[in-house]
Amino acid sequence: MSILYDEGQQAIATESRRVLDARTSKDRLLKLLEQVGECDQPFWDTAVEQGWTALAIPEEYGGLGLGLTELGLVAQACGAATSGAPFLTGGYGLAQALVQGSDAALASEWLPKLASGEAIGSVAFAEGNAVLPPVPAVTFADGKLTGVKPAVAGGLKADLALVWASCAGELALVVVELANASRSAVDSYDNSRLYADLAFADTPAKLIALGDAARALALDVLARMAVVTAHEQVGGAEALLYVARDYAVTRKAFGQLIGAFQSIKHRIAEMYGLVEVARANCIHAAAQEGTSEFLLAAADARISATEAYDTNARDCIQIHGGIGVTWELGLHLHMRRARSLAVECGNLLFWEDVLVNELSGEKA
Amino acid sequence: MSDLNAYRASARAFLETMDAKYGRDARAGNTVEQDLALGRVYMAAKYDAGFGGINWPVDMGGQGLTHLHKIAFDGEEMQFGMPVGFFGISLGMPVPILMHYCEDKAFVKERVVKALRGEEIWCQMFSEPSGGSDLAALRTKVEPDGNGWKMNGQKIWTSWAQYCDYGVIVTRSDPTVAKHKGLTYFWIDMKAKGVDVRPIKLAGGDSHVNEVFFDDVRVEDSQRLGAVGAGFAVSLHTLMIERYIATDSGGFGPHLDEFVKLAKETDLNGRPAIEDGRMRSAIARNHAMRAGLDSITARAFAMMMAGMQPGPEGSLQKLVAVRSRQKLSELAMDMRGNQGLAFDEHAFVKTDWGTSWLNAPTGRIAGGSDEVLLNTIAEKILGLPQDHRPDKGIPFNAIPA
Repeated sequence: MSILYDEGQQAIATESRRVLDARTSKDRLLKLLEQVGECDQPFWDTAVEQGWTALAIPEEYGGLGLGLTELGLVAQACGAATSGAPFLTGGYGLAQALVQGSDAALASEWLPKLASGEAIGSVAFAEGNAVLPPVPAVTFADGKLTGVKPAVAGGLKADLALVWASCAGELALVVVELANASRSAVDSYDNSRLYADLAFADTPAKLIALGDAARALALDVLARMAVVTAHEQVGGAEALLYVARDYAVTRKAFGQLIGAFQSIKHRIAEMYGLVEVARANCIHAAAQEGTSEFLLAAADARISATEAYDTNARDCIQIHGGIGVTWELGLHLHMRRARSLAVECGNLLFWEDVLVNELSGEKA
Repeated sequence: MSDLNAYRASARAFLETMDAKYGRDARAGNTVEQDLALGRVYMAAKYDAGFGGINWPVDMGGQGLTHLHKIAFDGEEMQFGMPVGFFGISLGMPVPILMHYCEDKAFVKERVVKALRGEEIWCQMFSEPSGGSDLAALRTKVEPDGNGWKMNGQKIWTSWAQYCDYGVIVTRSDPTVAKHKGLTYFWIDMKAKGVDVRPIKLAGGDSHVNEVFFDDVRVEDSQRLGAVGAGFAVSLHTLMIERYIATDSGGFGPHLDEFVKLAKETDLNGRPAIEDGRMRSAIARNHAMRAGLDSITARAFAMMMAGMQPGPEGSLQKLVAVRSRQKLSELAMDMRGNQGLAFDEHAFVKTDWGTSWLNAPTGRIAGGSDEVLLNTIAEKILGLPQDHRPDKGIPFNAIPA
């Protein structure tokens, strides 16, 4: 796949950004921070209306049959807008697992609904700091799931979840309908992510991969979601770069624009460097989809994008001084999102290990 | 793309035939003079094989291929450690500028071919004691002298000047106008009367840079490149010629694979260092950064092939790569503990962590310091204001010293 965007891809980037610029409301997003259990419905309606839920689902299941490059560009626009709902990435992860998994009937049942936005998907792998626990506490036996997955992104409203579980001493990937699970909301610093503890008690579920195949599929799903998230992080980091730049060319101190001080301009130049390195890794990773280099490329993208978004959130606020920490200006929307995205679908510690294992020839 | 891949393959095949005689292993233990002599022979062999002046016009002695062919060849050649360092600046900037501005084409062609064959070397004299980053602060002056010019002053940090036959130089021809406006550009004969080259020993023990003094040096007006007073523009042109060159995300130091190999082989607290979280984090962060730079390069390459102008992000390469190489070299030395205290002055910067560390500061300063590169990114790409410049618009001779 080419690493230059074609016209169609450029149109997706421009159009998704334009739509979100027109429809995103900072006031709406700020309100959501103090409400548990609510996300930005206008954002999600837009995502469904624009066909973003269908983008990367194969055409035979009612999707548009596009790939990570296109979804990544949409995610980048969502990141710039601190999108108000967490379903795009989780839905994509679940859809990929259904496409690649062993249950064709399940795929036929759910993929069209995920594509149309009729159903919302989520992914529940992590338990605490174990991103892909070697022995998951959640167990699967006789078609039933038992145990708790903590703080699943989108878990509060999702219809369907992909769950990493233990199964008679082996590892398993199962799909479960959440109508049959009990969920309790997590009051978080980024509440529109709709984090929920998902509790299963003999909840009916379907196995889609077992043993080594489950592990390989889980890692692939995680890597794909990491690439989507990395794009979202780059979108946020880039937005912050230009917010900082715009402030530095308007705000004056000591009789001149603060952007003329090297402590400020060098900080902003460094923000640019972080964005461009992470962006380049994202473009490369999306183009490596399906190749043997994909996991390594995903790790590169994820690590550099996490560093870029965290750093740019920190530094953009610092450049603003006092106004930067006010609720009203809302830079904390990005600061919060930088951290929630840094933890969702694998923290830095996890991806650093994945990367070094790949390089040193050890198994992840 | 297939044409370029085929070219790359033919370049590699040629380089493999040269490796035993001129490659990194063949050079081990050479003195600088031996290495230079070997380099001249290699350059001639390269020229005879049709790999000299790859993207230069055929009527000037070049091969008439594209810039991309040149980058492809350079990328392959870099991996063999050939003795080409002496000729990099010569062929990179002064000779192309001569081709562009000098009107005596027969003279130019003779110089071009001799430079390509390694028989003659050119240097570039920009920096002065009073101005490195601030190029236009230079003080070396030329005054009209009959039908030509008389040059007095001093340049510094001139690479390989002690071995050079010719050089290009920017001088002050009019101190009564603003500093950027009173400059004029020439080529000069480095063996001319009044030119005195004195090597400077650097921290790493080598002396590849020099001070160059000019004492009433006679320069003909035919040696002028560009109009009188246009020296700053010609200087900028010189610096832009090599804007897209073969880059190295390792910052011209060891490849990250070398670090991984060392970490696998080294015992740290009773287990391989590769299992130590600090090493793992450093490896992962460096890999992510270098992979990003490589992808920027690949994209710039793809854009040029598609006839597009690459984005400005290419300007990050040296800034990001060299400073991280410096820190990674320190960590590699830490990993080796007191076994890393031994130092070989002749070791190669791409294979030895101590050498990489000791020479890294040069990389962060030469060709645009980190700080100047950050200023350039901030001002040219992001539109941030220039620094406060009290000397702006003031005649050069009215600027307080």
